[in-house]
Amino acid sequence: MEELRLGKYVVGDTSKCTGCKACEVACFAEHNKKTNGVGKTVGTVTIPVTPKLYVTKGDGFCVPIQCKHCEDAPCLNACQKDAICRIDHKVIVDVEKCIGCKDCMMACPFGAISLLPLCKNGKVVAQVGCTDTQLSASKCDLCQGIDGGPACVRVCPNEALRLVEPEKERKEKNIKSAYSLSLTKSFGKEELK
Amino acid sequence: MNHFVKGNPDLCMGCRTCMIACVVSHEGSHIFEIDPDSYSFNPRLHMVKTATISVPVQCKHCEDPACKAVCPNDCISIIDNVVTINTTNCIGCKNCMNACPFGAIDMTEVKCEYQAKGEKKIVANKCDLCRENPDGPACVAVCPTEALKVVSEEDLINNVEKNRQNTAKELNEASLKAEKVCK
Repeated sequence: MEELRLGKYVVGDTSKCTGCKACEVACFAEHNKKTNGVGKTVGTVTIPVTPKLYVTKGDGFCVPIQCKHCEDAPCLNACQKDAICRIDHKVIVDVEKCIGCKDCMMACPFGAISLLPLCKNGKVVAQVGCTDTQLSASKCDLCQGIDGGPACVRVCPNEALRLVEPEKERKEKNIKSAYSLSLTKSFGKEELK
Repeated sequence: MNHFVKGNPDLCMGCRTCMIACVVSHEGSHIFEIDPDSYSFNPRLHMVKTATISVPVQCKHCEDPACKAVCPNDCISIIDNVVTINTTNCIGCKNCMNACPFGAIDMTEVKCEYQAKGEKKIVANKCDLCRENPDGPACVAVCPTEALKVVSEEDLINNVEKNRQNTAKELNEASLKAEKVCK
């Protein structure tokens, strides 16, 4: 039987996150390096900062929220324009097709999608026929096509972010659990029927 | 307390009969007569085999389940002392899979159910103690070496009570001996 392959995703640890937003900045910088000329200094940033993960503060904790790349993704199923598709087990938004209908934003139970200004060549893109900014869905694409994997994981100073490989981790946990069963051998040796 | 199935690594020989019984229990015995691709072969327990151990691992039906706590759609609930997944609303977010410390949850394709764009629907999959089977967990019934047992609340309480009695007895014997030595 062919093995089912599941999408990887990045998950944050509330016990380690300090809310520094280095992940948000790294995400923005990596994704706009080529298309909008964002470099390593503030002077190169000519567009609004549009991250694909969102640092969220709770009562006494904070953590970045990003896409889980669901296997039956509500955002993908909700999109009427086929602007969200699954490529190589990642749920990816095609901003060229996105019309900003907000359906995906409403469908996602995690709040992993925001509508943010669309930028090209270092400028904000205007809507057709007027000067209003064109908004499109912005969500984690696991830094698809970027060397070194997810930028957020790489830059976090506290190692609060982790790339989860669901199937691999499940097998590791299975093995640990099996060994723990060998410690319960004396359980109910006489009485248990 | 919820009951659960526990494997004994000393008795398990890794034959995987439990996995097949699990599929038969959830899909029906007609699977042997039909096209293997027309049903989903998704056992709800996982055989672990390493150089030193072989035993199936399945859900412990925790009293405060981590999987239940993290589900964004409230698909996981405790029904009749069994932690159960209602896959109708499952979106395959893998949160439960990540939360479970035993690796008891995996994701599986649902046959004949499709997502909006034609992809197979993929949902969380875990032991439900064969809730709909009147004879109880199929894995326990078929295990040729009787390596699987259902552990009930009563079993747990009895076991703890027995251990306490033994410990108390040993402590008592030890103190009697100590008294003799003193005299």
